[in-house]
Amino acid sequence: MKKYSLNFVMVVSALFLLSLAQFGIISNYIQAVFMYVGINIIMATSLNLVNGNMGEFTCGHAAFMCVGAYVSSILSVMFFGKTLGDPMLPPEMAFLVFPVIILIGGIFAAITSILVAVPAFKTRDDYLAIITIAVNYMVISAIENIDFVGGSRGFQGMKSTVWAMKDTLNGPWMLFWVITFMVFTIWVIRRFITSTYGKGVNAICQDETAAEIMSVNTNKIKLVNFMISAGLAGCAGGLFAHVVGYVNPQSFNILKSTEAMVMVYLGGMGSLSGAVISAVVFTFLMEVLRSQSLMDFLLAPATFVFPDWEPSAGVIKWVMIPLLLVLIMQFRPEGIMGNKELSDVFPKLKKFYTFK
Amino acid sequence: MSLLKIDTMTQRFGGLQAVSEFSVEMKGGELMGLIGPNGAGKTTIFNLISGFYQPTEGNIIFDGNPTAGLKPHQVTSMGIARTFQNIRLWHDMTVLDNIRIAQHYRMGYSVWDSIIRGPKYKAREARILEIAEELLDAMSLTDVAYEFPKNLPYGLQRRVEIARAMSIRPKLLLLDEPAAGLNSADVEDLIKLVRWIHDNFDITIFMIEHQMKVVTSLCQWIKVIDFGATIAEGTPEDIQSNPAVIKAYLGDDNI
Amino acid sequence: MDFIIQNILNALQWGSFYALIALGYTLVYGVLRLINFAHGDIFMVGAYIAFFVAGFLLGPAVGLSPMVTFLLAVPLTMFLTACVGVTLERVAYRPLRRKGAHRLYVVITALMCGLILEYSNLAVLGASRLKFPELVEKVIWHFGGVTITNLKVIVIVAAIAVFAFLNFIVTKTKIGMAMRGISYDKFAIPLMGIPIDAIIVFTFILGSGFAGLAGLLFAMSYPVLEPFMGMIIGWKAFIAAVVGGIGDIRGAFYGGFLLGFIEVGVVTIFPSTYRDLFAFTILLIILWMKPTGLFGMPQSTKI
Repeated sequence: MKKYSLNFVMVVSALFLLSLAQFGIISNYIQAVFMYVGINIIMATSLNLVNGNMGEFTCGHAAFMCVGAYVSSILSVMFFGKTLGDPMLPPEMAFLVFPVIILIGGIFAAITSILVAVPAFKTRDDYLAIITIAVNYMVISAIENIDFVGGSRGFQGMKSTVWAMKDTLNGPWMLFWVITFMVFTIWVIRRFITSTYGKGVNAICQDETAAEIMSVNTNKIKLVNFMISAGLAGCAGGLFAHVVGYVNPQSFNILKSTEAMVMVYLGGMGSLSGAVISAVVFTFLMEVLRSQSLMDFLLAPATFVFPDWEPSAGVIKWVMIPLLLVLIMQFRPEGIMGNKELSDVFPKLKKFYTFK
Repeated sequence: MSLLKIDTMTQRFGGLQAVSEFSVEMKGGELMGLIGPNGAGKTTIFNLISGFYQPTEGNIIFDGNPTAGLKPHQVTSMGIARTFQNIRLWHDMTVLDNIRIAQHYRMGYSVWDSIIRGPKYKAREARILEIAEELLDAMSLTDVAYEFPKNLPYGLQRRVEIARAMSIRPKLLLLDEPAAGLNSADVEDLIKLVRWIHDNFDITIFMIEHQMKVVTSLCQWIKVIDFGATIAEGTPEDIQSNPAVIKAYLGDDNI
Repeated sequence: MDFIIQNILNALQWGSFYALIALGYTLVYGVLRLINFAHGDIFMVGAYIAFFVAGFLLGPAVGLSPMVTFLLAVPLTMFLTACVGVTLERVAYRPLRRKGAHRLYVVITALMCGLILEYSNLAVLGASRLKFPELVEKVIWHFGGVTITNLKVIVIVAAIAVFAFLNFIVTKTKIGMAMRGISYDKFAIPLMGIPIDAIIVFTFILGSGFAGLAGLLFAMSYPVLEPFMGMIIGWKAFIAAVVGGIGDIRGAFYGGFLLGFIEVGVVTIFPSTYRDLFAFTILLIILWMKPTGLFGMPQSTKI
């Protein structure tokens, strides 16, 4: 029975959180923060598959989120919204259709990842970095040229699906779906990585030539890994779009990719629990740094010397976050967890959960 | 039908002829040696057999099938396994995992299975684990199954590498300088191990080695290479007294 | 015909900037095997330094004429930008090198330093764009239907001169040989009595100095400055360097001009919003077909 303790605790906390949201005890803002935590967890753990477990250096994760966000948003608007003509489906079906919409977004993102995976067969490191950055720009650039989805002005209307769900049965639906997909992501990744199939990914990371000669079909494994990673990122993008209610291509540029990278390297390459922990820490850090009063406090010495200077929190945040990662690289490059899992560091935890 | 038939294989890298018209025919069950001074092209020959390079000229036919154009993992799945001169284990994974991964071509399940873990997955994984554990047991490695290779003594790492190659259930095992870096006690163990493998498995072994003791006590037939060309072949006794071989290793009297 | 010549000239000028910046990327990569992702932002810093230098020299305190300002601004900008580059190397990259840190960590650090430069600029100077003063009076020449300004000529000549200079250094001088030696074997070089740190600093001085020059010239040609101007130009120059074959300065030079031609070419046929998309796609295709770049040397693994 003890083995199921962790599952039990997780379900209870999820239910607790959902009821807090439902009864308005926690504000919309706090709910949004929790949802961002969930989305960031998906973003970080999915990137970790490629940058951590497989040891590749990709810098364009946001491209897949972008694809997922736009595809799922278009579907949402088609099925439940009015912008592209009358809604195709009745609002009662929103519960069933929403997860499908998100998954389809993920599938399109996975297909997009082929653009990156195929070059990855022959190149590594620096060259792959360039290719992924270029693909990131290309995706954004392509969408900016598609007027049908608003181009660079952005696209909205996908919230209709959320309203459809709420109208049928009142509840914190987005929070619920974010939690569900987050658990789904962690479940998929954990299972994939602990199977012999998934261990091929680590083998490629540690010695690709040996892997190839020891019968691992490296090209196939790389492709599969990229597609899973991108697919999950696409789901994160879809969820992000529905939480915010608006997407524009520039929300998925190199800055978003950098956020994902910070989380992965902060948590420790290859560590699933590390990625989760650092996603949580990072999201809270981002929210904290958003506070102008805190920023004013932190920069008081500088503004004292230069009284005309009015630093904006939104901008300084983006000086501090890269600086944080630079410091991590200098002093603890292996990140919070290194390449170990929480259960390796605290072996007693193994008693409390069932997944191997 | 022979197990391995190589027909005047030549390998050129730009202007350099690394291997010249190498030929060999193995019927199956032999324990053959490949020796020669450093840089003679021995590892290149192994790389060619395992599919890492494609020969500039010549054919390699394994078990009746040509290996031309196949990728290394496909050649491996035909039944050829190898070890490396510098041990190339996956050091951040357990010994058991190293052995499991070598069975990749025989996994028999898809990525969906690995996530959903239905009965097919469970059965296949159990089989993979069973084969791995049997092998570890047979090679006296069960105690270190959950250790990381980087923490093991060199002799043990070699053993693990050979176990990993064996887990592919190869018909042909290529050993690239297995005794390199081993102390004399470990070398004795290695000789026993290779002999045991040869006696207990339906397997052909082709071995590159510098240490004469290992070569002479194990190999039934030896091929000698120098500057890519075969300069002699024969039984250990023939080779040891062959003047061309002595000249290649020691030089001749006119300096 | 005039149309073609005009576009060729435009492409040469546009490509000159890419070439100048790409040369800096490739020098550092050649010596350190490091993609200095912050290099595009050093270009931006160079433009801003040029702005302040020009403003100071033209201003009431010194009051020099625009022409003299220009002549002084070139070396001053290059020197100050080089200082920024060297500081970056000492503060961010060298400690990691000392520790023998994995190359990946240094690359991430570079990426982050670029962001820090951009956002610090934005934080300190604000979002308003700065207008660069006119230093060289524009002289326009007409040849038939083709227009060319003296500034365009200066830019193109500068790029070619810089390339010739760098080529000379790398192939004909001792220090150039040391630079090439480091790219082959970082560990053996100090054992041969060559001061590796000094060579690396020299490389950064060259790379950053010329990025500063590019910044100044760019600011003179397109006089509006904003903090993110280095980002996309930097990325594109970098891709151009890789397509040319990173590590080889010929690759950077020709790659930069190739990109200039691709972009100008695309814009003549398609709407300008497609420019980046096509440029990246074509570059990716080239990389896909020839992964080590046009002039690059294939790297093989030995087992």
